[in-house]
This record gives sequence, structure tokens and C-alpha cells, in this order.
Amino acid sequence: MRLGRLHLGRYTAITMVGLAIAFPLIYLLSGSLMSFQDISQYPPRLLPSAPLWSNYTTAFQYLTVRTIANTFLFVLAVLVIQLAICLPGAFALAKIKFRGSGLVFALFLVPLFMPTNLILIPTYVVSLKLGLIGNFGGLVLPVAGQASFGVLIFRQFFLSLPDGLVEAARIDGANWFQAFFQVGLPLAKPIIASYSVITFLTGWNLYIWPLVAGGDSPKTRVLTVALAPLANNQYSNLSPTIGFAAAVISMVPVLVVFVLFQKWFTRGVLGTGLE
Amino acid sequence: MAILGSSQDARADELPRPSAKAPRHRRTKVVDALSAWALVAPALVLFIVFIVIPTASGIGLSFYTWHFLDDPVFSGLTNFRTLVADPETWQSLGVTLKFVVLGVVPTVVLGFLLAVLTNARLRGVGALRVLYFVPAVVSVAVSAVLWSFIYDGRRGPIGALMRSVGLSSIDFLSTTTWALPALVVMMIWLALPVVILLYLAGLQRISPDIYDAAALDGAGSWRILWSITWPSVRGTTLVVSILQLITFVSGSLDIALILTNGDPLGSTRALGLYAYLVAFRNTDAGYASALSVLQLVVIVAVVVIGRFASKKVDR
Repeated sequence: MRLGRLHLGRYTAITMVGLAIAFPLIYLLSGSLMSFQDISQYPPRLLPSAPLWSNYTTAFQYLTVRTIANTFLFVLAVLVIQLAICLPGAFALAKIKFRGSGLVFALFLVPLFMPTNLILIPTYVVSLKLGLIGNFGGLVLPVAGQASFGVLIFRQFFLSLPDGLVEAARIDGANWFQAFFQVGLPLAKPIIASYSVITFLTGWNLYIWPLVAGGDSPKTRVLTVALAPLANNQYSNLSPTIGFAAAVISMVPVLVVFVLFQKWFTRGVLGTGLE
Repeated sequence: MAILGSSQDARADELPRPSAKAPRHRRTKVVDALSAWALVAPALVLFIVFIVIPTASGIGLSFYTWHFLDDPVFSGLTNFRTLVADPETWQSLGVTLKFVVLGVVPTVVLGFLLAVLTNARLRGVGALRVLYFVPAVVSVAVSAVLWSFIYDGRRGPIGALMRSVGLSSIDFLSTTTWALPALVVMMIWLALPVVILLYLAGLQRISPDIYDAAALDGAGSWRILWSITWPSVRGTTLVVSILQLITFVSGSLDIALILTNGDPLGSTRALGLYAYLVAFRNTDAGYASALSVLQLVVIVAVVVIGRFASKKVDR
């Protein structure tokens, strides 16, 4: 009896606190369907008087299909490049004994505890010199070059594979490239999934670099850059509820990824804790 | 099976010619090294171009006077002299430390407590935990759209509530007192999921035997929490603290740039944002680089002081 009541208390506490944490987002969803009168009314409403779906059409027109497509292209390009460079690099660092491997790995580790904003200005300078500012390459490549985390967690994974697996393939006559593609890569699927989910979420939500490198030009504008001006709603002539709708639209892909791949997200975050 | 069989074949093949082993071994070493470098090269090249070179040139640029379009002129310590004499630098340094102090400790403590709360082996708790992870999918831009309305004194819900109880509403983001704490609250909200998740993993590694022993000794829940649970996740606390330090030093740039532009009166302008504004509004790349160097020094100093302090506490 006492145990039952204890559990009930725990459940209630977990639910109430959880709802409090999720509340701002619930408010965002609900507000995205309100009229301006609804949302600024007192006492504050929790639900719209009548769902105003036109907020979404206005918001969609403001965001434009091009911006949404840019964001997908940006995130997928970063992801594909990072997988293509980090996986083989990490495999070599974990499984091949060669002179300099320790030094290379140490070099990759340095930025892990350094915020990327710290090198924002010189990264801009380098990209400017390479003629990358204002085009898609400049948006993607400097972000894809942030290979530290990928190299670290993939190397960790390849280290955990028994050496015998790779050696067997090698004795079988496979060269290192074949050993990577035929033995290492297929086994790495779970860690690739986690890494992809995390990279997708962080890439989708990046703001400063896409702003600096691409700016507000329609060719390179991504969703975060399009949304940011709506935050200062005092100065925008759009109703805040349209801003809410735009925010919800921009979140749909990450929500889908999060719901479908929550398990991989969890494992990926634990990877960032250098487990 | 096939792999095993063929490996034996290979070994049998080598046996009759032991003399051939030494040169072959050397050749394998060369092949190994070449293959390794070929596999590492793509990552290494991108990493060097976009991380190593910017890091080095960022430090280098801090000794130059440069405005992006003209030629850089070496100016020694001029930028650092300007930096020391610039009251806005000191203000920004103070704002950076405020972000860290107001942000990191509450995030770590709150994350720990929420992880303890949700670390229950009860049916359905796994599903409820999703509520705690929700802010993880929210971008700074989305939360800026949302929270700028929440904080809006004239139209937002907090303002409405305050007016209803007879207080005059506050436009949180336009007062020097409230703007920074308001941004910090939003950042804590964004940062919590990762912290909770890392602590949950740490908590699940604690052996249940310790709790049983403590309960037998008659220790109360708070006593157990403070004397057993908290020390057991010390490793997690260190990792989480460093991650959050970086989040608050670095994240204050994105958030303040969108929501306040560092205002009112520079009260939310941390070093990162000051460097950004100096670089991209005043086009003073050299001075901005010097400010970034100062930012790096601050991070290293806080980490070193933090480690030192935590070691002292442990003793």
C-alpha cells in the first residue's frame, strides 16, 4: 500500500516536471494556430478559439520552398562529407599501426574542448580567401571540416572491434581499403546511425555560420537564418503567431528524425560524453 | 569458417620461406603507412584547412591591423593594448563570466536532480522521459521566436499575468537587469536534455548494492543523494561542466545576436558577440582576433580554476 502511494507520487512528479519542461513547445504548437487576438488575450489562452490554419500558409510563403530545400541540402551535404572522411580516417587510426598516428589523432582532439565560435572570424577569412563566401561550398565545407567528434567516436568504435576480424580479412588477401569497406564499414552501421542523427539535428539548427557564410541571399539562406528576424517581433509586421507557425514548420524534419530515431539520438549524445 | 581456412592456407604458404620474411615485412610496413595516410588524408585535409589554419591564423591575426580588404600590417601588441584600454572589453568579459556563473552551475545541478527524478525503474517512465528531451530538437532560432514573445512585456503571457495581479509588466529583454537572466533561462532550457541524458547514463552505472547498504544504515533520501549518488557521478559532472562551459561561452553569441544584439547598453554582449560585432560591423579583423584570443584564455582559465577547485573540494 505504502509502496503504491510512493510510486504514484513519483509518477506524478515525473509527469508534472516533464510537462513543465515541454510546456514552452506545447505553447508554441498551440500558439501557431491562434489569431493575434487569441494569443494576446487575458487570461492567456491555452488553445486557439478556432484553429487558424492560414498562419501556416503565410508562414510557408515567408519561409519559401527554396529555403527549406537549401536546409536539407546543407545538412545532407555536411553529413555525407563527414561520414566519407571521418569513417576511413578513424578506421586507419584505430586499426593500422603507422608512424604519426598518435600525432594525427592528438591533432584531431584539440578542438573538442574549443567552441567553434572562437574561430568564427578566421574561418570566415580562410573561406573568403578560397572564394567560398556567398556560395554553397562555403556553407558546407567549413562545417564538414569539423571532423574531431566524428573521428573520435568512430575510432573508439573501431578500437572495440576485435583485431582478429580485420587481420583475418588481411591474411585473406584484402588490402586495407577492402578491409575497411568489407569488414569495418558494415559493422559500423549502429554508430553511423547515432552519429547521423546527432549531426542532422546539430546541422539543421546551426545559425551563426550559415548567417556569416551565406547570409540572407535566397540561394544560400537556411531556415534558422530566415527565422531569426521573426524573433524580434516588435519590429516585424507579421503577427507573432505566424512566427510560431514558421518555427513549427522549421522543426518538422527534426521532430520526425527525433521521434523515429530516438534510440540512436540517445546513444549519440552519450557518445559526446566520451563514454 | 572460410576466413579461418584461408588464413591457415596463408600461414602454410609462408612457412617454407622464412628468409623472405624480413624484406616482406618491411614492405608491408610501407604499404600499411601509405594506406593509412590515404585513408586519413581526406579528413586531415579538410580539418587542416578549416580548423587548424583558422586557429593558427586567428592567433596570428591578433598581431596585425587588418580590415578585410586592405593588406594586413603587422602591428605587434597594438591590438592587445587597445584591448586592455577598451572599457567595452572589460564589460564583455564581465558579461561572459555572468553567462557562465548564472548558466553552468544551475544547468548541472538541475540536470543532475532531474536525472535522479527520472531514473526510476517504473513502467512508462521511459515514455515520460521524452518530455524532458524535447528541447533538444529546438534550434536557437526557434526558441528565440518563442521566448521573445514569452518575454514580450506588452503582448506576452508573463506580462499579461503581471498586469492581472496589479504589477506593471516588464519587457524583460529591454532592461539591463533582466535581459541577461532571461537569456540564461532560455539557454538552460535548451541545454537540459543533454545534461539529463549524460547523468542518467552515469546513474545507471552505480551499483544498487551501495544504496541497499546505505538504506540499511538508516540514511535518509537526501543524505543518500548527497553522500552517495552525487559523488558517484563525479566523472559525469566534470564532463558535463566542461561541455556546459563551452555551451554558455559559445552559445551566448547566437542567442544574444538574434534576440538583443548585445543590448540594452551592452548588458548581454559577451566576448564572443563583441568580437563578432567588431569583425563584421566595424570590419576590424585584427582587433576582433585579439578579442577571440582573450575568449580562449578565459575558457582555459575557467577550466583550470574549476578543476583546481573541484580537487580541493574532494580532499
